[in-house]
Amino acid sequence: MNNIVKLLKGEIQRSIKYLILPVSLLTSVIWVVIFLLISTDEAKTISPLFIFADVAVMSIILVGASYYLERQEGTINSVLMLPIRLSELLAAKFISSMSLAFESVIIIALSLYLIHGITFNYFLLLFYVIVSAMAHTALGFSLALYAKDFNSLLGLLMTFMLVFTLPTIFYTLALIPESFEVFLFLSPSHCANLLMNYAIQSKSIDWKVMLSVGYQLAIAWGLLKYVIYPKFKSNTVRG
Amino acid sequence: MQNAFTIEDLSYRYPSGETDVIKGISFNVKQGEIFGFLGPSGAGKSTTQKLMIKLLNDYRGSIKYFDNDLKAINESYYEEIGVGFEMPVHFGKLTGLENMKYFSSFYKNKADIKSLMEQVGLWEFRDVLVSQYSKGMKVRLNFVRAMLNNPRVLFLDEVTNGLDPKNAMIIKNMIYDFKKSGGTVFLTTHLMNDVEQLCDQVAFCVNGKLYEIATPRELKLKYGKKEVTVEYHENDLILKQIFELKDLGFNEDFQTLLKSNKLETIHSGETTMEDIFIKVTGAIVHE
Repeated sequence: MNNIVKLLKGEIQRSIKYLILPVSLLTSVIWVVIFLLISTDEAKTISPLFIFADVAVMSIILVGASYYLERQEGTINSVLMLPIRLSELLAAKFISSMSLAFESVIIIALSLYLIHGITFNYFLLLFYVIVSAMAHTALGFSLALYAKDFNSLLGLLMTFMLVFTLPTIFYTLALIPESFEVFLFLSPSHCANLLMNYAIQSKSIDWKVMLSVGYQLAIAWGLLKYVIYPKFKSNTVRG
Repeated sequence: MQNAFTIEDLSYRYPSGETDVIKGISFNVKQGEIFGFLGPSGAGKSTTQKLMIKLLNDYRGSIKYFDNDLKAINESYYEEIGVGFEMPVHFGKLTGLENMKYFSSFYKNKADIKSLMEQVGLWEFRDVLVSQYSKGMKVRLNFVRAMLNNPRVLFLDEVTNGLDPKNAMIIKNMIYDFKKSGGTVFLTTHLMNDVEQLCDQVAFCVNGKLYEIATPRELKLKYGKKEVTVEYHENDLILKQIFELKDLGFNEDFQTLLKSNKLETIHSGETTMEDIFIKVTGAIVHE
């Protein structure tokens, strides 16, 4: 546990020095400005999409990019020479990735309340954010581990966005008919977006929520157990 | 002396590879010695080191660390070893000192960071971002990083590559001091100057196989010519004559030459580690 705290402190220190946290904060400030300009109903409709963008989309991009930056700087080799368990290293990276999502969610939730008086079940949102961030961080890690170089990582990220994230956004904007939703449940992006919508619009839990939570947990567990944990060291040092 | 490492019939193939890159090598690294692992690029030196530092695991054969199976040792192994990588391994947006403090915080046995950075001439640059360090400064910081836990065994990969002669000598003296204090060093390099000055024993690795394991002296005796070359003046010309080293004191021609001619030079046929490297590895020198 002590090692996870030290690793986490290091991750957060670096997210500040490498301007990841400040940029994330700036993005949240943009969301706040938008909330100031729109109505309460519009804020309730659009805010899940903002949280989805920070939790699902940014998790994948940031994890992949920071992993490649660490490989490029060679720091990952030095970290692997520390007397820590691989599980501790991965736990710190997952928590660090989720902490950025929390930061964004806290700002969005606060501004929704202060600007529009919108309240909802914060604990449920927190749970959904953790589940979605875990799944998407695992996806980001897996893509980074299988990418041959940074360009190939960008290609994989673009492919993921085109196949999974874009249809989700189209569905939210009613560009895809509701009858197609059943197919969208194959997309972890759709599951994350659905959970954010249910939490902010205070919808009661139904089979869609159960499926979205279960599917994302299965993705996170499966990728951690069968891809990230066994492949992390060998893929990192392959040169 | 106990073996720090006992390696038997070690083979390794990368998951995506079709053939073994390490092909059944065996060698021992004795405690307290500096073991030079030499070979041309792509010979398997780095892969062997990665296996020994547990960055790669799915090998065949056995690696024993002080008689314990390396596969059975957990992360506590890293409390005992220090690894100096050839490439920079530091966070560029952190200062040299911030980097060292971060890595040091994970070890139970902590070395004095100030003393180490002073020795390699980096203490006055401790608050400078590593991204602003020169290549030589990064190499020296790599060495400090390897020493942060007062290791029992040091793995050093091309440790003086990119250093000027003065700084290279400082690092070599520190390695020698480390050895004198009982430390074991596994040195991967192609810089024969380092090998001549530091190594107690060397092994040549070519295409994943080991070809020679001996002391530098044994290799020099084996590969050197047992002869003496004399250059001398005669009739305004400089001439050269080669004599067998065996029974040289009784060689009358040699004695006569010494007495009757003005000598220009005398050289023994002792070879250099560089020549031995080329002979063993079959490399071609392009001048």
